[in-house]
Amino acid sequence: MKTLKFIQLPVALLLAAMVMITSSCSEDFLETEPSTAIPTEDVFKSIVTAEAALIGAYDAMSAWGVDGLYFPLMSDVMGEDVMINNVNNYNWFVPVYQLEVLPNYQYPGNIWRGAYKVIFDANNIIENASKIPDASNEEIQNIQGQARTMRAYMMLKLAQFFAPAYTANPAALSIMNVNTVIDVNDEPFGRATNEEVYVQIVNDLLSAIESLDVSSDKGFFDKKAAQAILARAYLNMGEYAKASEMAVAAQEGIELMSLEEMFWGFNYRTSETIFTIAYTPDDNNIYLSIPSFYWPVAGYSSIRANDEFVNQFELGDVRAQFFLKEPSIDADRHLVLKFQHWQSIGNAERVDIRASEMVLIEAECEARLGNYSIAQDALLKIQERSVANAQKSTATGEALVNEILLERRKELFGEGFRLNDIKRTQSPLVRTGDHWSKYNFSANDPDYYRLTFPIPQSEIDANENISQADQNAGY
Amino acid sequence: MKRTILFLFLSVLVTSIATAQEIVVKGTVTDKTNGELLPGANVIVDGTTVGATTDFDGNYAINAPSDGVLVFSFMGMKTVKVPVNGQSTINVALDYESEILNDVIVVAYGTTTKEAFTGAAEVVNKDVIADRPVTSFEKALQGTTAGLQVTNSSGQPGSSATVRIRGIGSLNASSSPLYVIDGIPMAGSLSDINPNDIESLTVLKDAAAASLYGSRAANGVILITTKQAKEGQTQITFDANYGVSSRISDGYALMNATQIYEQQWMGLYNRQVLDGFPNTDAIAFAHTNVENVVGFNPFGVAQPLDDNGRLIPGTIVKTNTDWRDEVYKTGAVQNYNLSVAGGTSATKVFFSLGYFNDSGTTLNSNFKRYTAKLNASQKVNKFITAGMNTHFSMSETNAPPSGGEAANPIRMAELINAATPVYNDDGTYNWDNSAQFDFNPVGLADLDKYEYKGSRALVNTYVNVEILPNLNFKTNGAIDYAVNKGLNYYNPFHGNGAGVGGRSTQSRSDNIAWNISNILTWVKDFDNSNLELLAGQEAVGEEFTVLSAGVTDFAVPGNPELVWGGTPTTPSSSVSDWTMVSYLGQAKYAHAGKYYLSGSVRSDGSSRFGVNNRYGLFYSIGGSWRMTKEEWMSDIGWLNNFKLRASYGTSGNNNIGNYASLGLYGGGANYGGYPGITPVQPENKELAWEKIASLNIGFESTLFNTVDFSFEYYNRDSDKLLFAKPLSSGTGYGSILTNLGAMSNRGFESNIAWDAVNKENFTYSVGLNVSTNKNIIKNLETDQIISGTKILEVDGDVYQFYMRDWAGVNPDNGMPMWYANQDADDDSGATPQPGDIYDNPLGGDRQVTSDYSVAKRVRMGSALPDVFGGFTNNFRYKNFDLNFYFYYSLGGQVYNNDYATNMHDGSQVGYNLAADAIDAWTPNNRFTDVPRYVFSNTDQGSQLSSRFLEDASYLRLKNISLSYNLPDNLAQKMMMQNFRLSVSAENIWTLSKFNGFDPEGAINGTTGNSIPGVKVVNVGLKANF
Repeated sequence: MKTLKFIQLPVALLLAAMVMITSSCSEDFLETEPSTAIPTEDVFKSIVTAEAALIGAYDAMSAWGVDGLYFPLMSDVMGEDVMINNVNNYNWFVPVYQLEVLPNYQYPGNIWRGAYKVIFDANNIIENASKIPDASNEEIQNIQGQARTMRAYMMLKLAQFFAPAYTANPAALSIMNVNTVIDVNDEPFGRATNEEVYVQIVNDLLSAIESLDVSSDKGFFDKKAAQAILARAYLNMGEYAKASEMAVAAQEGIELMSLEEMFWGFNYRTSETIFTIAYTPDDNNIYLSIPSFYWPVAGYSSIRANDEFVNQFELGDVRAQFFLKEPSIDADRHLVLKFQHWQSIGNAERVDIRASEMVLIEAECEARLGNYSIAQDALLKIQERSVANAQKSTATGEALVNEILLERRKELFGEGFRLNDIKRTQSPLVRTGDHWSKYNFSANDPDYYRLTFPIPQSEIDANENISQADQNAGY
Repeated sequence: MKRTILFLFLSVLVTSIATAQEIVVKGTVTDKTNGELLPGANVIVDGTTVGATTDFDGNYAINAPSDGVLVFSFMGMKTVKVPVNGQSTINVALDYESEILNDVIVVAYGTTTKEAFTGAAEVVNKDVIADRPVTSFEKALQGTTAGLQVTNSSGQPGSSATVRIRGIGSLNASSSPLYVIDGIPMAGSLSDINPNDIESLTVLKDAAAASLYGSRAANGVILITTKQAKEGQTQITFDANYGVSSRISDGYALMNATQIYEQQWMGLYNRQVLDGFPNTDAIAFAHTNVENVVGFNPFGVAQPLDDNGRLIPGTIVKTNTDWRDEVYKTGAVQNYNLSVAGGTSATKVFFSLGYFNDSGTTLNSNFKRYTAKLNASQKVNKFITAGMNTHFSMSETNAPPSGGEAANPIRMAELINAATPVYNDDGTYNWDNSAQFDFNPVGLADLDKYEYKGSRALVNTYVNVEILPNLNFKTNGAIDYAVNKGLNYYNPFHGNGAGVGGRSTQSRSDNIAWNISNILTWVKDFDNSNLELLAGQEAVGEEFTVLSAGVTDFAVPGNPELVWGGTPTTPSSSVSDWTMVSYLGQAKYAHAGKYYLSGSVRSDGSSRFGVNNRYGLFYSIGGSWRMTKEEWMSDIGWLNNFKLRASYGTSGNNNIGNYASLGLYGGGANYGGYPGITPVQPENKELAWEKIASLNIGFESTLFNTVDFSFEYYNRDSDKLLFAKPLSSGTGYGSILTNLGAMSNRGFESNIAWDAVNKENFTYSVGLNVSTNKNIIKNLETDQIISGTKILEVDGDVYQFYMRDWAGVNPDNGMPMWYANQDADDDSGATPQPGDIYDNPLGGDRQVTSDYSVAKRVRMGSALPDVFGGFTNNFRYKNFDLNFYFYYSLGGQVYNNDYATNMHDGSQVGYNLAADAIDAWTPNNRFTDVPRYVFSNTDQGSQLSSRFLEDASYLRLKNISLSYNLPDNLAQKMMMQNFRLSVSAENIWTLSKFNGFDPEGAINGTTGNSIPGVKVVNVGLKANF
């Protein structure tokens, strides 16, 4: 039994060691923190992180699935001036061009999810900005104003895709009016009406115009951007006087770019840029970019211009040089030279709002309001830059409006306006000439549903307040 | 050694008593199996307390009545009674009590015997694993063990298989089992382990077996025991294997150059006709455009087709590329191992060196591994043993991109048509094709690099203190350290790198997992029973660090180092860690060799879970009853062994990522050159353990001494399942991780093994295992979650297909038809317009539609098999061994995405077609299952539907091997103990209706352009010195 006593010492030591090891494993031991993220509750504790959150929201908005590529490109591809080539298209945007989009496709899904993420980011800033302890009032006004502009901007784009035109039916089911941050366990938003959505957009922009100043960095929303977006919103609503007023305010003091600048390739801001997606190639997908699809070589290069559209440029219109028949690349269709890569593939800012558009909004609104001379002057401003010996239009009434609308197609080709212009004017979609997916339907035709995207299946599946019964007509 | 100690103890306790009228009996007691002398064996005169023990040399001497009976016994051996009958010398050879020593199995935190074990576990020994042409051991397990489902989803050398024990335990968290190597949970890749270093594997299946591992045991545990040296002569073993590998099957045929040209012509023609153009216009249109659509004119003449779109006889085909032949190749699998094992009673050392090289079956896809192992133990003194188990490995992998990427050579081999040449006339690569411009897979394999290198050290040290003969303390400290390097280089001219002048991205990561455990065990023998108690503590931590950087714009192509690039891309780095602290205890009680009870409890606290749910408690109880040990059953001669088992217990799953409960803004959301942050996940403070409660009832039996038969029923109820619940986009997030689900897996497992023939020169044994598993979702907070091809819903299973129901092709117009299924509960279909739904022209009661959006989706069965298992046959004739085994998987469906892509009906005109597409509908071929072929088809016929859903059942000859052992005398002449030659084949034959390379694909039942499985023919030798 002597041995037992001898052994008892190490036993006691070992047991003591075990107790020590275990007691050191306190609660601290189980607290770990990520190295590449910060807790949500810390974001609005300082203006530095809050501003970083705003940058993050712009980043989300500039993504290819949102405003970097999908919104603008699909807007044009769904119209009659632009098409996806019928061969060598890698199937990108083909069903969008064919107007054969289904609810489970990535095209409606990406812009829906992407834009609502931007809206969520903006909502967080709008709701929390005033609580930032170290922010000055100017700083709060600035980030709130930008966030409101962003929210309105995204809602306007969503409404253009997922709802019938406001002018056609203000009471129609539109998008979700996500104007506040909701908890993941709260009841989700259902579809609001066009009217509700546009009230939200207008109020946000009016508020932003109050909060924001004019800024020199056109990669961010400023007062002029808010005015310009409001002009677009009013135009969609048929509020032509207000639209014209906003368009005039937005372009005030801005010099239209020169003809030379127009041929820079639409890949960087110019004197007339009001807002541009400030693209950096190192953290974006260079192939999912506007020049990758539009420029005839070195990317997907699958965009072509419709021959009937190209034929509408009059002799002496320099903009006709944006279109080229080059048999070694494509024997059949017109290539588009408007949007170029800058230095490397895909490197291009995407100019989103420029003063020329504001001039055209002014022209259209004044024409519709019967102020023909003002409208004719505005139209001439655009024409005289590109057309040799351009003369002031003498048209009035409907003819003048149509002339201005045609000028919009020529001037804003490929810049993401066509789908909305067709819908807001309730124009027919007529695809003729070298289109390989031909259509001819008017606003009263059941086929008109094709100009409105389906609500994504994923949203219907996840949202108790949107059912199949709320799906857009035709899907 | 053990016997010597025993002898010392027993010699103190037992004294000899001499009486009159007795004779002295002397003799030796030996071990019957090897003839060694047994020291410390008991010799007792039956019916008395008179006894003696054998000495160190196994000798005994005892005074016994000349008409008495001597009882010889030794722990773990069968007791023998011998009448004295006046003999003065009685030598006895004792045999082992059949199961006991042979069937020691490694279990959680220790070992046990098979007979005493109350849980469901199965041991796979080294014979099954060693010398197979597989990179990692789990691939060799397919079909070997009931309840263990092993699925190889890729033929990429070095890739791991998907392993599931008793079904799918989780929805979103991992369902992989925990791997424990020599007592230490592993953190990294299984392919770092040399299968030839493995002595045995134990698959722990039920709660009684596994729940001592607590929050990591929910999906079962696989214990890996590596080889240890034994006392005795040093053994040197060398083995070498060389195999030739190739794609497992030919798959469905693709179109040749003529076929694709004719087909595209027809598509163009049909397009024009459908658009209302006259026949002559359509023919002219097709003639004009066909070359542009195909991409190349593979013929010598400008217009090779006649006005019916058929090749004009006599036209020479100049290009007819078989892209599969270009991308796939024959590979070589080499495997060389050298091991040395030896030791004294105090020191035991095992070390091994291994080299494995699989050159792969596709371009730029290969794997090399170098391993070194050292297992050593040292008996420090009478009661302390210390040792370490170490494992080092280095691996080099080349693995091209997989899935839907353009740079995936497997995908491109299917998508680029045969009219497209690999090389231009001048011998340079041709980069043009209609599927994906600039992505010639042969050229990219030459110019791009996808290299991965890994180094791994697994070091486990332990000190074992035998405090008292019945009290033991073991402390373990282990580090699992892995360093990985990745290099992706895209050449500046073609493919992914062309737009940026070439791109190189390099990453370095390291992962350190550490583990400290302290385990105290106490064993107490009572008269007729035995109690074993275990108490312990464990702490675990893991830290993963990664750094990556890249450059673009290369001045000198072909050099991937970052210094060659002109423009840096945004670098990144991150650290991620988790910790866990645990306490555990276990009690085992055995009574009379008949009744066994066990219970365990473990508490885990983990950093991964929400602050409100940080600790989890897991327990198990189990019992078994060896009925054949009961008096009343001992008469049944044919039933040698019958044991009933039952267990119940809980365990958890913590595989959800390290910070999943936190609401976070992530960095790197930069814009316009400014740094930004963005919301990445919503907070869930309640995020908790996934809990599984398992019930297991079964029996084991031995019949007629030759048949082992076992049967089990299990039910695993998972609750609080981690699930990423999809959210409305209005919340700002795609999904949130919640504990919303409950699921059950239940099934039967059975094993039959029969030693059919057991003669000296010839033995034959056969075995069959059968497993079933039924997975049922019990609760989801949402009614249905539909994603991709599947629907998740209560009472369905986790891989239930949900899609439109293919009805065939309308013979009148060639349009696809789906069953309208308007009474289905799918709320997504469009409202049918008049005429959209019509009677099926092919007959039948069900109405059909040719408008895809009108057809409703229906449930279409599951990807999971109903029954799977293995069937083994082992023959030995003299020095020849022939073993083969089949793996079977019955039931279960697979959605053949790859085939669907090759049957696009003209909707993706740039893509190649399967030869089956020739059967497309035409007015002259009205009854077919392939819709009309139309250029830029909008019929949606190739959209997701049961058209491409196939039966995934298959039977596969998994392994067959024939080996020859050189007769001992010949081997000894060659200075060897033994020498074996073998020829084997892996995956050599498959029976399946599946229309593709391999019915064994991803476990979720969808194909995705992964490298198909491989078959290997292998020759090998093994020499023992």
